[in-house]
Amino acid sequence: MIAQEAQYRDWMLAALMGDAGAYRKLLEGLTRHLRSYYARRLDPAAAEDAVQETLIAVHTRRASYDPALPFTAWVYGIARYKLIDEYRRHRRRATVPLDEAADLFSHDETEETIARRDVTRLLDRLPPAKRQLVKDIKLEGVSVAEAAKRTGMSESSVKVTVHRALKSLAEDVRDGEDPNADR
Amino acid sequence: MRTDDLIADLSTRLERVAPSALTRMLAAAVLLGLIGSVILMLSALGLRHDFARAITSFGMWTKLVYTLTIAAIGFWLVERAGRPGADMAQPVRVLVLPVLVIVVLAAAQLLTPGADIAHLILGHSSRVCAFLVTFTALPTLAASFWALRRMAPTRLTLAGLGAGVFAGAAGAFVYSFHCTEGSAPFIGIWYSLGIVSTAAIGGILGRSLLRW
Repeated sequence: MIAQEAQYRDWMLAALMGDAGAYRKLLEGLTRHLRSYYARRLDPAAAEDAVQETLIAVHTRRASYDPALPFTAWVYGIARYKLIDEYRRHRRRATVPLDEAADLFSHDETEETIARRDVTRLLDRLPPAKRQLVKDIKLEGVSVAEAAKRTGMSESSVKVTVHRALKSLAEDVRDGEDPNADR
Repeated sequence: MRTDDLIADLSTRLERVAPSALTRMLAAAVLLGLIGSVILMLSALGLRHDFARAITSFGMWTKLVYTLTIAAIGFWLVERAGRPGADMAQPVRVLVLPVLVIVVLAAAQLLTPGADIAHLILGHSSRVCAFLVTFTALPTLAASFWALRRMAPTRLTLAGLGAGVFAGAAGAFVYSFHCTEGSAPFIGIWYSLGIVSTAAIGGILGRSLLRW
């Protein structure tokens, strides 16, 4: 069973009884999971729309939740339906990735924020010029040719610089300089 | 609109929902549909002329029990189909039971010594029976779709099929008050075909009509 099931189910049952406070917590919690779920499957603007559409569906269709069944499966059913709907509207994909309810609840925005912060902290150890190169090429997806033009370096030295920078960061992490390490 | 504002807005508009609200809405809708099917049957086809006598016959009860059982399972299918994350496998499995019973009953009647096999199977209305069952089912099918659109079906073809099974069986139940056949082979073949046709229509229409 999904870890958050009991908590969410309690909130939902209270919400169905008319408890606005529990309902608010429920919607805020779901928003974090939904943002992450759609961000991995849609482009940013469509993702936020899908989050809102799903929240509205949760609201207007809340009578369709059967307390005898898992709440997480119910929300996941709606989230997936809205995803398929989005794909269908833009005729982007004929098939929908196979996943399950656990997929919706195994990620949330907080985790991704932490990961992003870790990367930023790690990158801060590099000298500014190198940091910019690694950020551009590895995170922003700028091409090597483009980065070379921006910095005035040759393409091959851009590649070498990025490669060395990553290698030194990897060594730092291996040596226990993991930004996550408790010290 | 910002998502935070949306959440604030939704939580101020929260009203209590009774646990049975959805099932009651569905029941009310299909009851109206059923009334529609009865009116359609009475006005377009008419009650069978020997109704008073037939109501106690074994053939009449075969029809009523067979169709009513499938309709009950069909209602269960629709109720499951309208709830995200709910499993439809269980009602589908139970659906095998009435079919099994009618097959056994039909076999028993066909194997009785001296049975008129052609008449048991074809009766006198085999050409129109399935069609008229589907025809009678239409108001109930429309009502089931109306109700499903207020629920939250996530697998639309499957939901349409479920609504079709329910409406087909309900239509067959209503139609059996017009039809004078009563042999188990006839019911097992032609009534079932009428239910299957209605289910097929439901499945085809479900994809587009059940979107929400």
